[in-house]
Amino acid sequence: MLRRGKDRVAVPDNLDVDRSAVERARRDPRAFDALYRKYVAQVYSFALYELRDSHAAEDLTAQVFLRALTALPRFREQREGPDSSFRVWLFQIARNAISNERRRARRHPASPIELASEYAASDDVQATATDRIELERVWKAIEQLPTDRRRALVLRFVNEMSTREIGAVLGKSEGATRVLIHRSLQSVAGQLGKTQKSGLHRARKRAAN
Amino acid sequence: MHLEGRVPHLESEVAIQSDAYIDALLNGHARQPIRLPGAAKSLEPSVRHVIRVLDRGLPRFHPSFLFEERLAAQLRVAADELSSDAPAALDRRLLMGGALASGVSIGAAAMLAWRRRQG
Repeated sequence: MLRRGKDRVAVPDNLDVDRSAVERARRDPRAFDALYRKYVAQVYSFALYELRDSHAAEDLTAQVFLRALTALPRFREQREGPDSSFRVWLFQIARNAISNERRRARRHPASPIELASEYAASDDVQATATDRIELERVWKAIEQLPTDRRRALVLRFVNEMSTREIGAVLGKSEGATRVLIHRSLQSVAGQLGKTQKSGLHRARKRAAN
Repeated sequence: MHLEGRVPHLESEVAIQSDAYIDALLNGHARQPIRLPGAAKSLEPSVRHVIRVLDRGLPRFHPSFLFEERLAAQLRVAADELSSDAPAALDRRLLMGGALASGVSIGAAAMLAWRRRQG
C-alpha cells in the first residue's frame, strides 16, 4: 500500500504530461517501461477496487499494459487536453477490461478496506482505529452506489484524477461528472445519517429495556 | 451524456464547490483557507465529512515487487518483438514498393512496345 499524498504533482489541466514519454515509446517500444513504472500502481489499485482480489487485479493489470504496449501506435491525441491523455487512454483500456472480467466472473471476496488493513501500519494506533471504523461505514455506503458512481469516487480519491479526466474515462462530460460525484457524496452522507439514526434508535431501545 | 442542461443551476454550483473542496484537499492545501468558487451555498457538513474521510482514508495499493518485475520482463519481451517487427515491416514495404515499381515499369515498356508496333 502506498502512503497517499507523497506523489501528488500539480499538473496543468490542458497538458498531457506523458507526451514525450509516449513519443519515445512509439519510436522504441522498449521505452514503454517508463510509462509502465509510472502507472502500474494506479492501474493495479483501480483494478483491485473493482475486482477485490489481488490475483485478478494482477491479471488485469498485465492485460492492460500488454494491450497498451501493442496498441500504442494507434493511440493518437484527438484533441488537446486530458480527454486524450495517455493516462485517460490507459484507464479506458482498464475500464473495458474490467467490464469483460466482470462478465466472466462476479466475485467480491473482500472490501478494499479489509485488504488495506493487511498492510496497515501507523504511529497513531487509536486514530487509525477510529478512522478505519468511519472509513468502513463510508465504504459500505459507497458499495450501495451504482457502478459509475462508485468508480467515479475511486478515480477521484484514489487515482486523484480531475473531473475532466474521469469524464473522459467514463464517457461523460466534465459537468455531468462533477454532478455525478456530488450526488454520490450526498448519497453516502445520507446513508451514513440513516445508519447513525438507526444506531441511536437501537441504543435508546436497549437502554429503555 | 450531457447532464448540464437538465441539472438545476444550484446543484451545479454546489457540485463545483464540492469539486473545489476535493481539489484543495487532494493538493494538500487543506490547512489553508479554502476559497470556494461562487459560494452561493455552503457545502453541507455531512458531505464535507464524507469528502474528508475519503481523502484521508481510501488506500492506494501497490502490486508486489515480484509481480511488477515479472510483468516488466514480459513487457520487455513484447517490446523486443515489436521492435524487431518494425524493420521487417519496413522491408515488406520496400519489397512491395519495389514490386510495384517494377510492375509499373514492365507495364510502361509493354505499352511503349505496343504503341511502336501500332505506329
